[in-house]
Amino acid sequence: MEFKVEAHRIMSISLGKIYNSRVQRGGIKLHKNLLVSLVLRSARQVYLSDFYSGACLNAQSEREGKEWDLIDSEREKFPPATEECNQTEETRQNDQPPINETVEKADDEEVKPDAEHCTPTPEEQSQNSSSDLADRVSSESSVPDAIKQNQESPTDSTNATLGESRQPQKTHVCTTRKRGAEESERDDAPQKRTKVNVTSSNASDDEESEEMDTGNVSNLITIFGSSFSGLLSKDGAKPEAEAQDSDSGSGQICCDQMLKNLNPWSTAIVAF
Amino acid sequence: MCVCVRACVRACVRVCVCASDIISTVEFNSTGELLATGDKGGRVVVFQREQESKNQPHRRGEYNVYSTFQSHEPEFDYLKSLEIEEKINKIRWLPQQNAAYFLLSTNDKTVKLWKISERDKRPEGYNLKDEEGRIRDPTTITALRVPVLRPMDLMVEATPRRIFSNAHTYHINSISVNSDYETYMSTDDLRINLWNLEITNRSFNIVDIKPANMEELTEVITAAEFHPNQCNTFVYSSSKGSIKLCDMRESALCDNHSKLFEEPEDPSNRSFFSEIISSISDVKFSHSGRYLMTRDYLAVKVWDVNMENKPLETYQVHDYLRSKLCSLYENDCIFDKFECVWNGTDSVLMTGSYNNFFRMFDRNTKRDVTLEASRENSKPRAILKPRKVCVGGKRRKDEISVDSLDFSKKILHTAWHPSENIIAVAATNNLYIFQDKVN
Repeated sequence: MEFKVEAHRIMSISLGKIYNSRVQRGGIKLHKNLLVSLVLRSARQVYLSDFYSGACLNAQSEREGKEWDLIDSEREKFPPATEECNQTEETRQNDQPPINETVEKADDEEVKPDAEHCTPTPEEQSQNSSSDLADRVSSESSVPDAIKQNQESPTDSTNATLGESRQPQKTHVCTTRKRGAEESERDDAPQKRTKVNVTSSNASDDEESEEMDTGNVSNLITIFGSSFSGLLSKDGAKPEAEAQDSDSGSGQICCDQMLKNLNPWSTAIVAF
Repeated sequence: MCVCVRACVRACVRVCVCASDIISTVEFNSTGELLATGDKGGRVVVFQREQESKNQPHRRGEYNVYSTFQSHEPEFDYLKSLEIEEKINKIRWLPQQNAAYFLLSTNDKTVKLWKISERDKRPEGYNLKDEEGRIRDPTTITALRVPVLRPMDLMVEATPRRIFSNAHTYHINSISVNSDYETYMSTDDLRINLWNLEITNRSFNIVDIKPANMEELTEVITAAEFHPNQCNTFVYSSSKGSIKLCDMRESALCDNHSKLFEEPEDPSNRSFFSEIISSISDVKFSHSGRYLMTRDYLAVKVWDVNMENKPLETYQVHDYLRSKLCSLYENDCIFDKFECVWNGTDSVLMTGSYNNFFRMFDRNTKRDVTLEASRENSKPRAILKPRKVCVGGKRRKDEISVDSLDFSKKILHTAWHPSENIIAVAATNNLYIFQDKVN
């Protein structure tokens, strides 16, 4: 478990570095970003493998029942800062079929919106966790407030776009640190939404995912403030990459699908 | 190796560290007479060694400022909306062929060839201009005279003779002059280009490791250098910890290496940051060309050019940092690129560390020493005292504990005189020059 906390912390630091590299003078340093992405990948692998050795093996129905138990135990263990993100992931994962879980998890960690096999509101979740991460790295970042505001406004607008049923699956426990107004409005949603998500089928996921794409892309733009023209441009860009190589041997369907999701958006994070 | 090093301090006295004054490269010329430094503000300062004089024997060989010029200015790439830093990444001297000195200096995108020449005579007695340079009224000129050269105060002027630009998409990290004195190479993260010193509008790409799909990128080039004697041979190091030696006679594009120097990673040392600390920050041929020295984050390794599977020698620079990698990652220190240098006889290695420490390793006696470049410890002609970092347990009186090291004071750039025991150490915005003790 300590590895998981450490891995998560390293991931958030890495993301902060990638973000900051964008505003650094002299342009993006390819070498440094490559190294940071390697660390990010290693941390993510540890984080995921740690998770898989734990909760993934439980049946979904069991998980639902134990959902709140898990959350409470997590809360006891970890300080509030880590608690929120962990709980977010725990809850989401516990509610979703394995495929979607890993997808969200990866997205959450990498501040990347989910592309294809996403669950109803991965993007809000990723935003929320992005907020978490952004806040955590705010000590390093020079524009913490800007990040937060960027995070919050697209969230609100996307909420409007996607409607009531897409309320983010934030648990009632994640209220403390940040997004005052947002959280209060979500507090009522989680219970209802849990059921909705569980019953959603994969067939509908594709539709949702397409809508997600638009929403995600606009969020990316807002979050990173980039003009969208060079999203997939390669020059000066730093690849996220070897996610493919690393996970190809895993043999798990969910991992492969997660990776497919990562690819289009992996360049987004580095294509500036 | 003589451990007693006398400090001959040439330092810029400044109260606060101005970012643009941070020294980013240090290089002796081939005779050691000149020492060039480049800084983050794009300036080059050249020091010249005083001639020995019998009148003042104690001032033997001090370095004084010889020339200062602005080599690079900040630029803006409008196409990519990127600012190009003016920081001087590397300076390399050309061998001297006439009275003037030539050096190459580079920032992230552009290499410039500078000519540094002296002017100690001035023509006087023009017909059309008066002494202040104003044009004379032709009607007042009644006689003709031939201008004569009169001595004047020494003036050192630097003029850019060649500008080699628009050849690199990524950031240039190295330049290296070939032993043929006709060509040089410039290296960025993914490509190495070969230039003729005379021709600025054309360069040849000799190494290209850019993958077709950038998402498959796994390593970048971190440094490259020509062999000191063989004009067809060069090496380049990668972020994965490998060094490739290439022979330009084999093919025009040297993507396939002739030799690959790589040491398998020790699995017991694996951590999140293994890849970062194995990235090579500097590679240098020995003067003889028989050996290679590489610097990664924690160690210096000496390789025999004829043995690829493992290094000949490994020296730990600051292994006590191994347990602190996470904090060093957070404060970005883990990305620091330390350089390493050989002494003139290839018997001693030198590299920098934190807290303004620098380390020397004697390959023959296997002894090493840690010294500090700081104002307090370096009164002129004082002898430097070896320092020691306490790694655990009881700290002795003169030792420094790992936790009290100042990681903002790092020595990344050092240089060693080609034939004498004179070293130049850049500590942030100060340059320290140390000499061997003279009896």
